[in-house]
Amino acid sequence: MTAVNVYQQRPNGAARAESPLYHAGLDELAGKGSPQAGVRLREKKLLGHLVLRGNAKDPAFAAGVHRALGLELPVALTLVARGETSLQWLGPDEWLLIVPSGEEFAAEQRLREALVGQHISVVNVSGGQTLLELSGPKAREVLMKSTPYDVHPLNFPVGKAVGSTFAKTQLVIRHVSEDTWELLVRRSFADYVWLWLQDASAEFGLAIQA
Amino acid sequence: MSQVNRLPGGGRIDRSQPLTFTFNGQTYQGYAGDTLAAALLANGVDVVGRSFKYSRPRGIVAAGAEEPNAVLQLGSCEAAQVPNVRATQQALFNGLVARSTNGWPSVDTDLMALVGKVGGKLMPPGFYYKTFMYPQSLWLTYEKYIRKAAGLGRAPTERDPDIYDHVNRHCDVLVVGAGPAGLAAALAAARSGARVILADEQEEFGGSLLDTRETLDGQPAAEWVAKALAELEKMPEVTLLPRATVNGYHDHNFLTIHQRLTDHLGEVAPLGANGVRQARQRIHRVRAKRVVLATGAHERPLVYANNDVPGNMLAGAVSTYLRRYAVAPGRRLVLSTNNDYAYRVVLDWLDAGLEVAAVADARSNPQGDWVNEARRRGVRILTGSAVVECLGSKRVSGARICAIDAQAGKVVGTGERIDCDLIASSGGYSPVVHLASHLGGRPQWREDILAFVPGPGNGVQLRIDAGAVNGVFSLGEVLTDGYRAGAQAAEEAGFKAVDGSLPKAEARREEATVALFLVPHDKPTSRAPKQFVDLQNDVTAAGIELAVREGFESVEHVKRYTALGFGTDQGKLGNINGLAIAARALGISIPQMGTTMFRPNYTPVTFGAVTGRHCGHLFEPKRYTALHRWHLENGAEFEDVGQWKRPWYFPKPGEDMHAAVARECLAVRNAVGILDASTLGKIDIQGPDAREFLNRVYTNAWTKLDVGKARYGLMCKEDGMVFDDGVTACLGDNHFLMTTTTGGAARVLEWLELYHQTEWPELKVYFTSVTDHWATMTLSGPNSRKLLAEVTDIDLSNEAFPFMSWKEGQVGGVPARVFRISFTGELSYEINVQADYAMGVWEQLIEAGQRYGLTPYGTETMHVLRAEKGFIIVGQDTDGSVTPDDLNMGWCVGRNKPFSWIGRRGMNRADCLREDRKQLVGLKPVNPNQVLPEGAQLVFDPRQSIPMQMVGHVTSSYRSAALGCSIALALVKGGLKRMGERVFAPLADGSVIEAEICSSVFYDPKGERQNV
Repeated sequence: MTAVNVYQQRPNGAARAESPLYHAGLDELAGKGSPQAGVRLREKKLLGHLVLRGNAKDPAFAAGVHRALGLELPVALTLVARGETSLQWLGPDEWLLIVPSGEEFAAEQRLREALVGQHISVVNVSGGQTLLELSGPKAREVLMKSTPYDVHPLNFPVGKAVGSTFAKTQLVIRHVSEDTWELLVRRSFADYVWLWLQDASAEFGLAIQA
Repeated sequence: MSQVNRLPGGGRIDRSQPLTFTFNGQTYQGYAGDTLAAALLANGVDVVGRSFKYSRPRGIVAAGAEEPNAVLQLGSCEAAQVPNVRATQQALFNGLVARSTNGWPSVDTDLMALVGKVGGKLMPPGFYYKTFMYPQSLWLTYEKYIRKAAGLGRAPTERDPDIYDHVNRHCDVLVVGAGPAGLAAALAAARSGARVILADEQEEFGGSLLDTRETLDGQPAAEWVAKALAELEKMPEVTLLPRATVNGYHDHNFLTIHQRLTDHLGEVAPLGANGVRQARQRIHRVRAKRVVLATGAHERPLVYANNDVPGNMLAGAVSTYLRRYAVAPGRRLVLSTNNDYAYRVVLDWLDAGLEVAAVADARSNPQGDWVNEARRRGVRILTGSAVVECLGSKRVSGARICAIDAQAGKVVGTGERIDCDLIASSGGYSPVVHLASHLGGRPQWREDILAFVPGPGNGVQLRIDAGAVNGVFSLGEVLTDGYRAGAQAAEEAGFKAVDGSLPKAEARREEATVALFLVPHDKPTSRAPKQFVDLQNDVTAAGIELAVREGFESVEHVKRYTALGFGTDQGKLGNINGLAIAARALGISIPQMGTTMFRPNYTPVTFGAVTGRHCGHLFEPKRYTALHRWHLENGAEFEDVGQWKRPWYFPKPGEDMHAAVARECLAVRNAVGILDASTLGKIDIQGPDAREFLNRVYTNAWTKLDVGKARYGLMCKEDGMVFDDGVTACLGDNHFLMTTTTGGAARVLEWLELYHQTEWPELKVYFTSVTDHWATMTLSGPNSRKLLAEVTDIDLSNEAFPFMSWKEGQVGGVPARVFRISFTGELSYEINVQADYAMGVWEQLIEAGQRYGLTPYGTETMHVLRAEKGFIIVGQDTDGSVTPDDLNMGWCVGRNKPFSWIGRRGMNRADCLREDRKQLVGLKPVNPNQVLPEGAQLVFDPRQSIPMQMVGHVTSSYRSAALGCSIALALVKGGLKRMGERVFAPLADGSVIEAEICSSVFYDPKGERQNV
């Protein structure tokens, strides 16, 4: 074994995967809501999530990240995306990389290779969190019921991402396009957030998307 | 009797929509657009309640939030009961059911009135404190009857069918109040492009403009209101909140608004368009860059004898009922005033074709335009006079008007009695300063307008006042002041204000107000008929003077002694009069007297609105593991551990908890058990200095832990007291996985970050929480190796995979890290897989385990098994005052580590080295069937007298199925040197449990079972 223990954590066989909202049966609910629903919800499940730590002030770090991912390091409170891959600022020395399901091991290896010799950390957290996509004309009003953070587009433009209080828990809110937002939810809180979102969007109508 | 007081025309009511309602069981009719108060007055209902203390009949006095008497109970059924509703603020709806909150058994024949009349003299202020506090044991009995007599309304005993919610808002400018000043301010701010919220507590925007006789641009003022609103509604960044009371002004320009979304539609919120029940009320939590306070002013009543008899009203309220609701609350009016503005009621009364008996004006020679208009229209004006006493008991029958010397506080001359059925009074206007003083700002007295205006915001409130609250009363100036404030607020929030046009108000000659609060009476205050200052709390002028005589000089003490301005009233109607009376009694000025503090909320807020959606299943987040569904399907009982729901035990049909736990314990000791340990905190630690960091935060040494090995660690705070524990494994030279207690996960991560960021930033190490990423399944028991071997490719032999090491491999077809560590003392494997795949692995283990007697177990069995082994649970066996040595865990302290690790100095203080500290020991009850209660205090001598000398307490206690007896862990003074001695636990029921002090390791003391 070497300095850091890195291994493929996702099975390549036919093992059944249960995302944090597996028990909610979202697939069965999909398509059953009103087409006029003001709020649409989708679980972007089982993606690869990696937490990257490193020294943002070191040009070699930014260069290495770019070499590995083809993405610039995002500045504070923003995310950058290319295709299905996104890189989000979480803190002065902390970023969240989200890649398509199953690509996280390769992404970690690419990062470690590109950043070899630097003091960094890459941690696979894919099993611990999920992305909920909230969209529709009333999505912003649901957010206003849920978080004290100002989600007005003037303060929260597309491309911004913040961690904040959400109902009685915390999560990360990402503004990905005009009326589409993503909530980064920890697995153990996912059921609470799901219940909260159903309740908060009830008056506007909620449609689940597959 | 139908709407005897309704005028034939006019008003903003919709006569095409008659509404039926009941009050105290009687059915009445009103119209859409009425408030409940307007409809009651329209129907000639004089008495709406009985007073708080003296049980005197009371009628409607005001038309807004300042109403002290018409505080009613609403609801046609138990679940819909709402107390504390001001009839003046409740829109009428069809089927509304209202009751008086006091008046027992009925408001018209009140048995308590006897108490009031007979007991009046016996009930001076301070009554409750003086009479009922002793004997204290009887207070509970007294309180029951006082509450019933006082009638503060009651809460429903059934579940509220409605929902309430909260919304967070941010704006550049929040305008509080949509009267002339607020509307002008909102227009100015909105035209600059700022994000504006305009909130107003009434059913309609417009405030005084909805019922004023004044015109704007020669048109009725309400037409300009409609125009202004139309402009505001078109602006996308403007949010209009009607029926929304700004109730609290908190730190950082954070304000809370209570909006009644459907209270005007019915007692239960209707369904929305999509069939979902709408929220009935909503709290808006607003962060505003600037606040424009346009809260207006409350008219002050004059204080005169018997001024509480129904038919005594505020002058402005009478105008409001006339012009806005087309209700004449009487036939023959007397006005008592000290100012020009009050003359509007006289002109409005004449316009309605009603009779004005007389005006008593405290000023000697008033010549304002409105005064002269009244004179021209033939109104008899008695100058230098005031109504000194109201005549009548359940309804005004006349007024005694006397010439007075306001300055000297004396009646001059005998006066005359004038027949009337309505006395309107106006003692001037009190700016509504409540919100401005919620953060401690003291209102400031302005002698020119005889009123307190808001004190400066002092940077604590970023606030601009406008209109009447700012001491500006004439309509044209109010509009200008509002526009100025709105523009200034927008500029301060970073916008460029634009000039805008305002409508033109009529020019008018107005004359100054003369100071008059308590109208003098021929008799001294203490002998005169009651002169009420605070109608809601039954505080009289005599009561305030008595308080002063008894030595209460501070305004805060006078308030508490008399109850002036208490409760839902919050001093809206009576505070200034009360201050003035107290100041005069003390011989000081009103500003010297000062005001009491105003607190949120401005008007009462329902509990439903306070709670919002944080109730029922949304009351508190519940955290679940990836295996929760299996636990549910298999009948687990759950235990709350922090926010986690953990399986507590898995009862089989017919089993109670003891039976289930005994079965689970024996299964682990004799076969194999499985536990969902996913909730344990897990922190991934990477970096070349990771090992050194562990050396500094743990008490024990980590330098020599090889890759592939794991070690138990203790963490202390600086004081040397144990704060968390867990096993940390070395995954690579620069890579560790730390586990923490379930409840300690977040605080340990914060602790590591704190020390890294503030004390040792030079150490190259990163911490990342992986608690939710890994699901952890623990197999424990002699059969665990055989079972695991069926589903893994890992070599499980003791040689290849010894105790306190870990391996990587496939378990059930899923990549896993398996840790051979044990919290039960048995052969154990903790299997960690990515949580998404845990359920499949768990199910395979359950399936394969059938042959080996695999039994799922919960936290209770885990607790018993670890206690049998003497393993501590931080937070149960420790309480933040326990060192490693106290736990007999000195073996876990690396005394020779080179760097001074956290807790080292603390645990070496003299006090921590005492030999008689409380130390963790085992206890065996002498009667093996008795289980010591956890928390029981221990003594060495049970025969000593009370208070006994307590020497420790029981921290953990269970019945051990494996040992066939009860066992306990306890902290006992000097316990480690008292092996074999006896301690006693005297219990609350008088019995005593005797126990022997023993080693805390009860089972397998050599630890052989986990090493096989």
